[in-house]
Amino acid sequence: MKPVNFSSAVAPVIALICRLTLGIVFLYAGIEKIIAPQEFAMAVYNYRLLPDWAVNMLAVILPWLEVFLATGFIAGIYVRGASSLSSLLFLIFAIALTINLVRGLDISCGCFGGSSGNISWSYLIRDTSLLAMSVFTLFCDRGWGYFVVRKSKTIVENERSEN
Amino acid sequence: MNNIKEMKKNNHTINLFLVAREAIIIFVIALIVAVTFNLLRPTGLPLFGFSSTTITNVQQAKIPKITLPETYDLYRQNKAVFVDARDPFSFEEGHIAGAVNIYPDEIALSAAKLKTMVATDSVVITYCDGPECPLSKETAQGLILQGFPVVKVFVNGWSLWFNAGYPVSKGKK
Repeated sequence: MKPVNFSSAVAPVIALICRLTLGIVFLYAGIEKIIAPQEFAMAVYNYRLLPDWAVNMLAVILPWLEVFLATGFIAGIYVRGASSLSSLLFLIFAIALTINLVRGLDISCGCFGGSSGNISWSYLIRDTSLLAMSVFTLFCDRGWGYFVVRKSKTIVENERSEN
Repeated sequence: MNNIKEMKKNNHTINLFLVAREAIIIFVIALIVAVTFNLLRPTGLPLFGFSSTTITNVQQAKIPKITLPETYDLYRQNKAVFVDARDPFSFEEGHIAGAVNIYPDEIALSAAKLKTMVATDSVVITYCDGPECPLSKETAQGLILQGFPVVKVFVNGWSLWFNAGYPVSKGKK
């Protein structure tokens, strides 16, 4: 017995893997930025896309947003809200990255804190892959409950066969 | 079993209103925690007062310094890569033997070339002239941002090195 939308558990399992991957990536990215806020503010500033008054604001809020997104992804709480927000973040970052790659700026990515590697097209590929994972999670994730239910079904069947 | 029946009955749908509500809740919680944490931590940032100059000064103060004897030791062991942060004219008149001239504005252009010169156990040492000269710190800061792992500032480097009678070169290279 499965939720009627899926003929097998493949999509929810892939979504679970995507969700946990996103959780780990966001947790690491968030913590690295929280540890060194000034370096991250500098990385944000170097993108030359935000007015000065918004730089610190973003540098303060974004790392914690990433940590809470990670918590949601790993714990399976508010996954749809988290995956829609993360899709939006990855989309905005893809645009910011593309603008600066086209401009030819050789700046730190700031992805995992201020001293991450410098931006390149490979970072854009990584970002769009994470964007795809977020969208997949949004549409296909069923939360931990799906797997708990599947387990209980197996237990029930085992009990039946024992009887 | 009731749970399974429930799940079977309910088609999986994405309710935009619920998604937006969840996203807003996550954002608001993150906002509150972030602002509170930032207010409480000693190294918190002023929320609307970004100043690239202040941040740069703080970062530059953290860059390790190196003394003349330490510098000379590294030079003798071939572990020092010198970066002269002064203007090209001063560099041509005289610089530490083997140094590369990278003015702070030229870091992005020269970083790739410098990377080929730096071995895994090398220390990049930036210097300019005068105890208050900011160029060596600016270049060091830029090199750190470019991903050079070990960069040290040799404060007042040119004068100290020259007066000690250590090897120097002239010209563009």
